[in-house]
Amino acid sequence: MALNRREFLKAAGAGWLGTLSGLSAMRSAHASTSRGRPRVVVVGAGFGGATCAKYVRLWDQRIDVTLIEPNEKLVSCPMSNWVLGGIRSMQDLEKGYGDLKKHGIRMVHDWAVGVDPVKRTVTTREGATIGYDRLVLAPGVEFMTETVQGYAEAALAHKVTHAFKAGPETALLRRQLESMPDGGVFVIASPPPPGRCVSGPYERACMVAHYFKQHKPRSKIIMLDGHFDVVSKGPMFKAAWEKFYPGMIEHRPNSLVTRLDHVNMMVTTEFDDVKADVINIVPRQRAGKICAVAGVRSDSNGIWCPIDFAAFESTSVPNIHVIGDSVLSNMPKSAHVSNNQAKICAAALVELFNGREPNPYPVIGSTSYSATSDTTSGPIAVVMRYDPDKRIYVRQPGGGASPVSDETNFAYNLAWFENIWADTLG
Amino acid sequence: MYRTYLQLFAIASLSTLSAAIATSGNASANQGSACRIAGLEKPPSICASHNRTLAATCFNCHGPDGRSNGAIPSLAGQSRSDIVNAMKEFRSGQRDEYATVMKKYALGYTDSEYEAMAEYFSNIK
Repeated sequence: MALNRREFLKAAGAGWLGTLSGLSAMRSAHASTSRGRPRVVVVGAGFGGATCAKYVRLWDQRIDVTLIEPNEKLVSCPMSNWVLGGIRSMQDLEKGYGDLKKHGIRMVHDWAVGVDPVKRTVTTREGATIGYDRLVLAPGVEFMTETVQGYAEAALAHKVTHAFKAGPETALLRRQLESMPDGGVFVIASPPPPGRCVSGPYERACMVAHYFKQHKPRSKIIMLDGHFDVVSKGPMFKAAWEKFYPGMIEHRPNSLVTRLDHVNMMVTTEFDDVKADVINIVPRQRAGKICAVAGVRSDSNGIWCPIDFAAFESTSVPNIHVIGDSVLSNMPKSAHVSNNQAKICAAALVELFNGREPNPYPVIGSTSYSATSDTTSGPIAVVMRYDPDKRIYVRQPGGGASPVSDETNFAYNLAWFENIWADTLG
Repeated sequence: MYRTYLQLFAIASLSTLSAAIATSGNASANQGSACRIAGLEKPPSICASHNRTLAATCFNCHGPDGRSNGAIPSLAGQSRSDIVNAMKEFRSGQRDEYATVMKKYALGYTDSEYEAMAEYFSNIK
């Protein structure tokens, strides 16, 4: 969090500009309303973008919504660790976008490659130009593989994965684990904050350990953690590692990977060289590329997107909203939070297009489940409330992680997955 | 800051107000009953939008409109008093069994938000 504080203050300072531009933008939105139906374009159909497109249409059918997404189906990052543990298949992670059509969303399967914030158009790789009154960017993260020396070469040789965007890398990592000999070493490296799904690597250690325990019990997992400790659900994960997988998982905090030699299968941190049989490195991340193209990846390091949190509008470029993992905020970067941010943003868009003030006090719930075995999970949950004076979402008292994982929460974890699918794509 | 925003909003709205009224004929956020959330009574549209969005942030666990597919309970069609009482019991710790996430959530919402959410879900048939 300390890393982010300066950027926070800067974002808060810039917020005033965002408010002003938001107001002028409201006028122009009305101008276009009088010309015809207001137009929202959403880029990216993950848990944030697809939800936003759906809820704009659910709440005001007079708004035209176009959803630009290159892939024909959504591959879920939540539960993708379960594939690595062998308790789910790749097919269990995939769902098509067919049901969104019943809401009247126009789906464009293409890459958004250009944004003109003056003419208010998006251009696609195949050459289409799509006009908007309000643009919502929900591209997810881009991986800064250049921060690990040798990563690019190793990725070309299929010797390293991050598998932090579910899909082919998830399947590749599973195959690598399957062909690893018993007694081998699996290295998981995670970056310092902020980044997508902080608990993901810890759950991944549990799932791979579950697989090793059954099929390769002499194997080891070394976690090179860019954090100072097991920072999410720490007591729960440590208890599970001790109870279910004693001696199998070695957690090394403050271990930032700087270099990777895929020929010798060696991972180097600031302190150590670690020899591995399978290498999984989650690099540092930044907001998706389209955010840079649109000029909204505008924090001090050009990494995340500062926004005005009541409507999720960029503080740099009017009429462009950003939701999900690309946002500069103190909120967790998770599917659950993206899905809820999408609803706050959709509600604000509906109010703006109707000439009403968006709710200045949005409230977001954040929940995340992690599995620790094939029958146990545990949650973290917190309510976050927007404070217009501090210009941040403030965590409400009472939130936190469960100290234990159990079967009740495993059942809830499964239900959560079914319900967030239905809420996002149904 | 917020008050200044409101003033600016009021100024900006003057030029667009008539257009807004003309185009907001079936705006559903204006519908619904009295505001149940303390401090958000005016204008009513903010309260209506907040109610609806607040309820929607429950859907990713409890299913769209509170119709759950799995072990997490459905909220759709539950009575208002049942939902409000459940939230109060989660908060007090009286309801403990299977109360994993809700014990934490209940502490983050106000009584009037319990009422608003309960009203939404009790009206889903």
